[in-house]
Amino acid sequence: MADATPAVEICGLVKDFKTSFRRQMLRAVAGVSLRIEAGEVYGLIGPNGSGKSTTMKALLGLVAPTAGTCAIFGQDSLRVDSRREVGFLPENPYFYKHLSGAETLRFYGKLCGMRGRVLDDRVSELLALVDLESARDRRLGGYSKGMLQRIGLAQALVQDPRLLILDEPTAGVDPIGSRQIRDLIFKLRERGITVFLCSHLLEQVQEVCDRVGIIFQGKMVKEGRLEELIAIEDQTEIILRDASPDLVAQITALVADSPGAAVVRTGKPRTTLERLFLRETLRDDP
Amino acid sequence: MSPTPVSPARSNRGSHCGRIAVIATHAFTQLVRMKVFYFLAVFAVIVIGSNFFDLPQHVGPESAGINVLNSIKNWSIGMMSLFSVVFAIVATALLLPKDVEDRTLYTILAKPVPRIDYLAGKLLGVLLLVFVSLALMDVLMTVVLQIRTSMILSGQMEMAHSRGWPAAEIASLRADILSQGPNASLQGAVWAVFLRASIMASLALLISTFSTSTLFTSITSFLVYFIGYFQADARDVFLESGTAGTGWLARTVSLVVSLVLPDFHLFNVIDAVIQGQAMPLIRLGELTGIGLFYAVFYVLASWFIFAEKEF
Repeated sequence: MADATPAVEICGLVKDFKTSFRRQMLRAVAGVSLRIEAGEVYGLIGPNGSGKSTTMKALLGLVAPTAGTCAIFGQDSLRVDSRREVGFLPENPYFYKHLSGAETLRFYGKLCGMRGRVLDDRVSELLALVDLESARDRRLGGYSKGMLQRIGLAQALVQDPRLLILDEPTAGVDPIGSRQIRDLIFKLRERGITVFLCSHLLEQVQEVCDRVGIIFQGKMVKEGRLEELIAIEDQTEIILRDASPDLVAQITALVADSPGAAVVRTGKPRTTLERLFLRETLRDDP
Repeated sequence: MSPTPVSPARSNRGSHCGRIAVIATHAFTQLVRMKVFYFLAVFAVIVIGSNFFDLPQHVGPESAGINVLNSIKNWSIGMMSLFSVVFAIVATALLLPKDVEDRTLYTILAKPVPRIDYLAGKLLGVLLLVFVSLALMDVLMTVVLQIRTSMILSGQMEMAHSRGWPAAEIASLRADILSQGPNASLQGAVWAVFLRASIMASLALLISTFSTSTLFTSITSFLVYFIGYFQADARDVFLESGTAGTGWLARTVSLVVSLVLPDFHLFNVIDAVIQGQAMPLIRLGELTGIGLFYAVFYVLASWFIFAEKEF
């Protein structure tokens, strides 16, 4: 029987910050509510300063809500125990440069109470997962941006959390690194891990998320299943391979004969610049 | 319905002591990798160099060489004091803001780590490094002092015997020289240096919980350090000057000041030890009690502020 407790439940979250001029309050989040079921990949999107990061920080207990509640698997997120179930990757993280990749994971693992063989095995497993086995003993000061993001993802996963919170996981990462992180999110979804991410890269959100929320000026303005949100209900798409011009003409004529129907556009579908880049740069890879 | 299997990675909850030890060890490693132990090379040069500060003296032959022993102790303890206080303040003032700036703190507090564990771990890491550094410096000072004391003792004994001094005077001379050499009181003085550094590190931790920069934390901590040497005198003068000093307000203010700001006047016992006086065990216990009181007081105050801090 599946666990009915949602992975994340935010109810009426309000967060005010004091500005430098006392008495003036800045409302960063204004009554946001959302619910993420276990196993879902949820994307929170919105422009800069819309309240995405504050919502995530409230969920992690890094800021206290002015009003409303946040819960992780039913536990109040202000309780330290609730963080046993959470892994977090902040935007542009800088880990301790004096530690190697393996030492970094060992440090975070020990913070979660892991020791000995269990920890050693977990460190090796995670380094393999994020493809950093060859850099396990290299200090983080020598890591590239993409490698730092991947070791950050590994530290977030060290205690095998059921919920992963990613704040701009691909910020500043090149398309190949970005693709690797996206593939990792797919792998995590297959394992049943709930992922809550926010990103500016809307195409990526569209590719990996089951549900999406759009936040603007601290308020949730749209939320729902991705396919429902982006589908254009009154249009139908047919993509043909090796269709002759005659066939296209026949189909167009057929549509023209149907009352109320119209051909909106015909032409060749385009790939994305990212796919083109990846195809060109990874073509020599085995 | 069978219970959900718990991953081995998630099965252990961890303890406060375990987490504090992990953070302390990490802070210690971080500071060691900043190459702070290079300071020990400078210290070694100074201690060995202090052997050659044999200033001209205007006392009798029975005191020959004693000023060298004083010089070694003066330079060594002086350097220990300087290093321990500067290091305790600067390292503590640096570690916390750096974690905030680099957002490393987010990743730590996003784990099941109570904020008091984080603070205590950072402080213990700094104190561990100060302790290890002082221990190494102490070993070096003791070795140099022991060698030099033996040399002086043998020279003086030879001089006393050649001049036919009575046995009682020879024994007295011997006791005088040994009192200037390495002894338990000198180790007590090094412990007092560590306690003073512990108080300053705890204070810097408190200031860094609300300060916005390392510079502000360091400067304020150094100011409190100097005030600590004068606060007892100032308080006495205040309380004894006219009727204002005897009122309840004055007494309350002086009580609060003496509780919040440490009275470093008590640590002047270190100078007395350098001059060859013994440190009573009771005084050592008193200093340990004061050190513990302020360290715990400042850590709890830091926690009070840090627990409410938003990132």
